[in-house]
Amino acid sequence: MATRHSVPGRFKKAKPLENVRVVRTTDSPNCTGACGWLATVVDDVIVDLKPAADYPCQEYNPRGCLRGMSMTHLIYGPDRVKTPLIREGARGEGKWRKASWDEALDFIASKMISIRDTSGPESMLLFNQVVGTGYVQKGAQVRMAALLGMSFATAYDFNGDISMGFTQTVGIDCVECETKSWAHCKTVILWSSNVFQTRIPDAKFLTTHAKQKNNCQIVCIDPRCSQTAKGADLWLPIHPGTDGALALSMCQVILEKRLVDWKFLQKFTDCACLIREDDGKRLRASDVGMGTDAEFMVWDEAADKLFTLPMDSLKLSDDVRFAFNGVREVEVKGTKVKVRPVFELLEDTIMRPEYSPENVASVTDIPAETIRKLATDFATQRPSSIVIGMGVNHRHDGDLAIRSILLFATLVGAHGKPGESVSIYSGQHHFRLDVSAWWFPEGRRPNNVPMHYFVLGHPTETINPKIKYPKNGFKALFVSHANPLVTEFSGPLKAAIDALDLFVVTDFSMSPTCEYADVVLPAPTFWEKVDLVGTSCHPYLQIQQEVVPPQYDSRTEFWIARELLKRVDPTLNKYFDLTEDDVIELMLKTGGKEVAEITLDQLKAGPVRLNVHDPECGLDEQFHEDKLFPPRAYPFPDGAQRELLKTGRMEFYKEEDSYQKFGETIPLYRGSFRTLNSEEKKLPLTIVTPHSKWRVHSTHSNNPFLLNVNRKPVVEINPRDAIARGINDGDPVAIFNANGEYQLWALVTEAIKPGVLCVDHAWWDRYLISGKYHSVHTHQEIKPTHETYYLPAVYAPGQHWKDVRVDVRKVK
Amino acid sequence: MAKYAMLIDLTRCIGCDACTLACKQENGTPADVFFARVLNAEVGKFPNVKRVYIPVLCNHCDDAPCLKGCPNKAIFKRPDGIVLIDQDRCKGAGACVSACPYGNVYLNTEDTWYLNEDEAYERDHVKPRLTQNKARKCTYCAHRVDEGLDPACVVACPTTARIFGDLDDSESTISRYVVDQEQETGRKPFHLVPQAGTKPTGIYLGTMAAQQSSTLGNSAPIPADLTQEGGDK
Repeated sequence: MATRHSVPGRFKKAKPLENVRVVRTTDSPNCTGACGWLATVVDDVIVDLKPAADYPCQEYNPRGCLRGMSMTHLIYGPDRVKTPLIREGARGEGKWRKASWDEALDFIASKMISIRDTSGPESMLLFNQVVGTGYVQKGAQVRMAALLGMSFATAYDFNGDISMGFTQTVGIDCVECETKSWAHCKTVILWSSNVFQTRIPDAKFLTTHAKQKNNCQIVCIDPRCSQTAKGADLWLPIHPGTDGALALSMCQVILEKRLVDWKFLQKFTDCACLIREDDGKRLRASDVGMGTDAEFMVWDEAADKLFTLPMDSLKLSDDVRFAFNGVREVEVKGTKVKVRPVFELLEDTIMRPEYSPENVASVTDIPAETIRKLATDFATQRPSSIVIGMGVNHRHDGDLAIRSILLFATLVGAHGKPGESVSIYSGQHHFRLDVSAWWFPEGRRPNNVPMHYFVLGHPTETINPKIKYPKNGFKALFVSHANPLVTEFSGPLKAAIDALDLFVVTDFSMSPTCEYADVVLPAPTFWEKVDLVGTSCHPYLQIQQEVVPPQYDSRTEFWIARELLKRVDPTLNKYFDLTEDDVIELMLKTGGKEVAEITLDQLKAGPVRLNVHDPECGLDEQFHEDKLFPPRAYPFPDGAQRELLKTGRMEFYKEEDSYQKFGETIPLYRGSFRTLNSEEKKLPLTIVTPHSKWRVHSTHSNNPFLLNVNRKPVVEINPRDAIARGINDGDPVAIFNANGEYQLWALVTEAIKPGVLCVDHAWWDRYLISGKYHSVHTHQEIKPTHETYYLPAVYAPGQHWKDVRVDVRKVK
Repeated sequence: MAKYAMLIDLTRCIGCDACTLACKQENGTPADVFFARVLNAEVGKFPNVKRVYIPVLCNHCDDAPCLKGCPNKAIFKRPDGIVLIDQDRCKGAGACVSACPYGNVYLNTEDTWYLNEDEAYERDHVKPRLTQNKARKCTYCAHRVDEGLDPACVVACPTTARIFGDLDDSESTISRYVVDQEQETGRKPFHLVPQAGTKPTGIYLGTMAAQQSSTLGNSAPIPADLTQEGGDK
């Protein structure tokens, strides 16, 4: 509730304001925090934003952060796109013509028709960010793409946020407990996760609850003394890229100290599955005449015979006792074949001398006794949780590192209870309900193509056959809710855009990506349009209200999609013959069990908790209802992920030919920066790019309110590295490598490990001295094992931004 | 009568600056004026370095030097302890700015703003609320307190690190919190710069995080590959 008084004199009673409305809404930025707000509106101007603090579960109150409440300065900010703009000069030249909506839409539609008729509709690509928030508006764009037969690139994998280590292990690309569950922890490992900056509304569950009430031990693994390290008991400045070695060493400690939770492994993992020595595949029931090739064999020591894992449930009889060790011989179609349980293969790797804490100490820079203590504390001071950050994942072997971390936590059974989980809060594309009825009319889906192939300009040799690369290549790109020319490696992306006939960007701020567009369409902010909002951070479904009408000459994405469709193919008009409220009701009705019986009226009254466990610990259906892994990934049908995780258990062994060929059947550490060539490896420094509290990715980069407290881009550098280069605090410097160079200012600080630089993520170009943020990062590279299957944003190629080395020098 | 005070629990505080921005929005302050802000410091040398966040604001001191220093008698203390600068009487002399040992009083000869001049939001709803060339500072959101609301920085704090209330009432949340925390976590309340002797009403509780580090302390080179060829076969 806002009060609108002046700073006082002797307190004359202020006149009550007229024309005041207070609206309960939620925002839907790409942090996906989905915080509830009370907006005070005077004369149709938003004058104040305060946390709504109305979540039925009191611990969540209040939610909100400085970015959310600073939105006034973007809504009314100087960079607001106020009318449609059509490019007049060359791309990026900055010459624009203000256009009416009719003119802009007619222009785009005529190009779309010509591309459709000459190259095919799949030559037009839609790329909108973080579809897991804002089901109505972003869904309208996908619905249009589906109806027209356009291609659609999911952002999540292109961002590199897809956590393939999770997909490989549990069949879904990320797992999150609701943050309330952190409150129960006695031990938390924040593995490169900086929640004090990136999960501000949720951080209280660590500070106010876990720390203050349980005296929880909080450990930060990060090359930088991050803001979160402020609240940690122990900070481990690890060598970047060596997280997997640390995790495997911690596994060795668990095995050595006999802290393994065998019952957990027996029920929930593939650790007892028998692996054939002849072909490296799992022993199937069909191999031994005991069932189908979709059933898998273990050895039951209690009965001393082969046992077929049930494929209808994780439930096991109390009588079975699986063998985790021992070579056995079975007869497969008349031939004797040696088989060994997965666990023994894991043990062979984990117990190698190179994973001893003493050896890993020199690899990671973390002392052996610390590794031992950390592993032991995690196993014994329960409940224990791990939160993984993107610094681990944005690497070529990030999947191996995450598989190793999951293995560590799984060996001690740290899953599925309040305060026990391994979470990675990157699942921002995850849907809390089945949106298919709105997004995919009559089952029509757009042609999914990962953005990587657009940027590469061609399919790879190893591309998954399910991906239909357009036969005539790409001719048009529609970007929305995204700023890829800042947040992604921009050189090759720009080149790919240069080859297009049409590049349309929809945004509310004139971002560097807009500046390169052919047509810019002004969108409303999330304070000016209706939507249905869910998040993986907390289990509340909320309505985003039209607090004020779309400002200036902006129009909702829903309206734009309808108008474009009308012009490109009027026969499809009927698919948009409904209101946004109708859409929400449709999704609630068809959304599945999580939203069963939730109504629009309830949502209009306030946040409604989904039909999920309380607290959600992650993978609840598996750990509490004995359902096979993986949990369903909306909006794909049940069973779509089965081929990725055939056993229905947490898989620590990947039998597929590609994994065998590339030597990654089990988690292991292969050395950091191994994909770099010898010249690149010679560069002395590495760089990390954490999200900062001042921005949500690149949003708010230009917020004048926030720029007042965060004035210019800096690179954090340790004095040892600065002195060696003659760099003083505040000096202009260039960060460079063979990929590119950009210039900004030095911040000489003891809070970063020598050998590591840190620039916070996604500064817009104009704030740098020169160059483009992200220009030094890794080019588009695809790990072949990531092409073995394809399920958009669930099993798809990730990104390896952080596998780079750089140097820095002082500039004039 | 009440004696209002602000407690900030540094165990809960994550240094997020939500208070800074909530205050700016509530009070409509111009650029570079921060009634509430967060000091961000690092202490020590790598690897034994700690980050420290200290949210600061006017301490509404019982023995306020700004009040004593004002040549125009524009500063007064309400019976409930809130120290205010009467904007009508203030002549912008600036004595209070010099007198405050905490640096929490602001005086601009010319205010600068954030948005384009034709934006109704700032033009009609923000700028009219403050006058340049007058000393200004945190009021504990007296206008909200008088309506029974907590200050803006308190309601906006996502970690509930700020507790505002009446220290004269032993049953108030703030009074009980001080007593309970001393019992439960052994933490005693303290003031910033106590040697200034101004009897501040801003109270702090310390951080419980041990903030230790463990490392061999080497520069991050390219670590030797553990498995030269890599692969699991």
